[in-house]
Amino acid sequence: MSKITKSSTAEYFAKNLQQVGFSSPLKAVLTTLKEAVDNSLDACEQAGILPELIIEVVKIGSGSTKNTDLIRIVVEDNGPGIDPDDLAKVYGEYLASSKFGRGQCSRGQQGIGISAATTWAQMTNAKGVQVISKTKNMRKAISAQVDVDIKSNTGTLRNKETMDWDRPHGTRVEFALDGRVQLNGDGGLLTYIEGTILVNPHMTIKYKLVENDWVTIERVSAVSPELPEATLPHPHTFKLGEFITHATLFGKVPLSKFLKTGFSRISDQSLKDFVKNGLPKNLVEKPVTSLSEEEFKKTFQAVQATELMAPSTKSVLTVGEESLSKSILRLGEVDFFAVVTRKPCICDFKPVVVEVALARFKTRQTELDAPVQLLRFANRVPLQFDKSGCAITWAIESVNWKSYGLQQPKDSLPIGPYIFAVSVVSPFIKFKNASKETIDASEELVAEIRLALIQAGQKLSRHIKKEFKEADLERKLAHIEQFGPILVESLARIVGASDARKKKAEEGLKKLLGRDSEAAIADLEEAESKLLAQKKKERQKGIGSDEESQAEEHVDVISVKATTKKAAGTKKGGK
Amino acid sequence: MAKLIAVRELKIDIPKEAKILAERMLKDLENSKRPVLEAVKTSLDNSFYNSKVGFLTPGDKVVRTELNVSSVQKLARVVFVLEILLGNLEVGSVNTKRELYYMAKGLIKGNSRLKPLDFEDQPESDSIIDFIGDMLEVYREELNCFANDRGGQTYSQQLIVTETMADGEKAVIDLSTLGTSPFQPKNKPQSLKLKARKKIDFCLVVESEGTANTLATMGFTKRNNCILMGAQGVPSNGVRGWCKLIQEQLDVPMYFFGDLDAYTMQNIFRTLKAGSAASLIRNADFSAPNVRFLGVLPEDVKKYDLPHYKVKESDPVEARALKKAKDVLENDPFFLDKKNKNLADILRFLIKEKIRCEQQSYFSVDPKDPIKTEKIIIEKIKRGSYV
Repeated sequence: MSKITKSSTAEYFAKNLQQVGFSSPLKAVLTTLKEAVDNSLDACEQAGILPELIIEVVKIGSGSTKNTDLIRIVVEDNGPGIDPDDLAKVYGEYLASSKFGRGQCSRGQQGIGISAATTWAQMTNAKGVQVISKTKNMRKAISAQVDVDIKSNTGTLRNKETMDWDRPHGTRVEFALDGRVQLNGDGGLLTYIEGTILVNPHMTIKYKLVENDWVTIERVSAVSPELPEATLPHPHTFKLGEFITHATLFGKVPLSKFLKTGFSRISDQSLKDFVKNGLPKNLVEKPVTSLSEEEFKKTFQAVQATELMAPSTKSVLTVGEESLSKSILRLGEVDFFAVVTRKPCICDFKPVVVEVALARFKTRQTELDAPVQLLRFANRVPLQFDKSGCAITWAIESVNWKSYGLQQPKDSLPIGPYIFAVSVVSPFIKFKNASKETIDASEELVAEIRLALIQAGQKLSRHIKKEFKEADLERKLAHIEQFGPILVESLARIVGASDARKKKAEEGLKKLLGRDSEAAIADLEEAESKLLAQKKKERQKGIGSDEESQAEEHVDVISVKATTKKAAGTKKGGK
Repeated sequence: MAKLIAVRELKIDIPKEAKILAERMLKDLENSKRPVLEAVKTSLDNSFYNSKVGFLTPGDKVVRTELNVSSVQKLARVVFVLEILLGNLEVGSVNTKRELYYMAKGLIKGNSRLKPLDFEDQPESDSIIDFIGDMLEVYREELNCFANDRGGQTYSQQLIVTETMADGEKAVIDLSTLGTSPFQPKNKPQSLKLKARKKIDFCLVVESEGTANTLATMGFTKRNNCILMGAQGVPSNGVRGWCKLIQEQLDVPMYFFGDLDAYTMQNIFRTLKAGSAASLIRNADFSAPNVRFLGVLPEDVKKYDLPHYKVKESDPVEARALKKAKDVLENDPFFLDKKNKNLADILRFLIKEKIRCEQQSYFSVDPKDPIKTEKIIIEKIKRGSYV
């Protein structure tokens, strides 16, 4: 028999970095950036600080592996900083996290990502991460290189020194690693940064990507999102094994206490119901430490068989329609947009909130027939790979976008210069894999996302319909101008009519067609008034600035009047 | 240029009629009234069939095009093309639809004001030409717009055709003197006079032009006093007018010999015998109601043990023909008529059995006898084995 050896968590991940987002040089760069930004934003939020991020991704040479470049990735924040004693743990130790299984809607969850990035840098460039950090209690910042000791899964600090830093507090990480840079497209860095900008209206960001210039995007919200309290898990989301492991965390307490304090929605009444549903009464007060596996199973089955209140939805966090609508304008000049924030709800016994922003951009002239750009978010982290298996993609494809005026090939994403941003926030989000790329598509979740999309689609369609009616009117007016005179001239030629008759017929024709264009104007006015009503409603919710919307309303009225006037010129004496 | 020989005795004077129409439209416009153009609705739901008349005739339904913002383009195009056609009639020049399409483009190119009228492709101008014909209830030939005369290759030792030329000259064509070449009729039946050298016993129209040629080469017309004609698929106006002429002037029994399948029955044979819904206004002169369906009959498949095939449902053409057959049995007045029950029965047989059997399958009966097919045809005629 071969010898059984035990390996450390770090060893496992070092061998399986592809599982956590390091499956290609391209993904390595994106994932490193992503993990660093997630940590910065989470830290700022925990401390109630409005985040200011500085990001730099540049090529500094050629990589050690084939077909790669040596890339420097720097992420600097104004967050609370990291205690010098924790530096090694945060950057060099796997599963060392302040957020694991805590039931909060934070971006990071397990404490794998940034350590994996350090490992990648170490493996490809023989150097871990260079960190500078300063908390508000420190007079000087600390600078060090953190490496992962793979054998023992611990972080080690090298070249530790103190230094002056002009920030009151903050963290700066710098990675140099093998990778490749892609800016646009599904896996692009720019796509990631835009997504992050969209769902973090309270963030100011300054970034430089490869040889492009520095770009600064200011925050549009001065409110740091209030992190909802952590929530206890709902027992119906558990499996037997998890249930038993969960129990061991509680030490020698009676089963009743474990159930009531370890889960949400379990009351004394629930305990009675468990007994009715097959929980042996003598187990209720028995310490969990002395329960046999068989007894755990019986308890678990009784819990599953009992109806419980759905979990509270208080634990989820939303960006909000107002902030989202402001934030979307940071991505470029929009023609129009629609935002929807659903009320929190329960899907698969987990609280979930879905937010959707759909926008058509003036400046994003994509190829003709190119599908909409899809931005997916889970707990405000952009998801950039494997979109075909994602609950969000499924939901979008299940909606009939044609009825909202968009082109859509069968069972596919709609077409056009739009951005479709869909964000799912939940303290217990279920991913298909460890690298957080796709949300597992449960029926309930897809249905909830679908509802949000339909609401947003309806809002969007008002804009599109107005535009369509405008084009219709324009086409009709053009038709009159183009074909009317030709028709009259040909008729006059065949008949041999005098100029006077010709003139009279032309006037008659204008009158007739003027009546038709009046009908088209009425259609347009109806579409415009519907849109105005929607905008008014949105304004009450704080979507779109007051100044802008007032101006918009003014313009709308003028434009209707102008078209009416134009048509009236052709319909003198009509009706 | 000399005037063309008319296709029929037309009751209306087209240029005069067109002027009246233009006058009416102009008057309406002067009075701020919407001009309306009406054309016969050429579709199955406006087709009527009376076995005594023998062909599909139009009902009262019309397609109305009233002037509005959406139709102003079509009306302008109709008047524009009408003007071209009137010009053609005046000078006596003729054109095909494709030529007219390019003439329209040429005129538009020369006058930037006409640019909005421009046709993107030929179907656009074709539909305008058809509309004008249906509106004036005249044939396109009467508007000097001719189609290529496809099919109708005719062999006979008895038939003599006298054609009156445009200039009044007469040309006499004795088909027995043409050697192995067939006579191919132009689509102007009115200028042709037919005479039989000897009593003609029958006229056989063969769907496949190739098979008609084989029969003739093997001496079919030498052994039989007959007219033998290849239809070359769906009969063209030329073939249809030619069959009508043979029926009218010679009064001989006429038989159609083609495949046993839904497409042949409803698209080829029905059109030859009773015209089509698309050509409602011209069926009177372009159908030969006396023609009978000689085969392939369902009973022949059994009697001669003819090789046949299952209709491939995956083949879109065949699948569509079968689907159409079901529709035709419910909606086509020709197949609904009692008199044509036996023909409708063939369609029912085809829908039920989902088979098709080709005319050439007779060649399988006795491959060693080169004139076996001829023998079967003659035997079937004698036996009265036709529908």
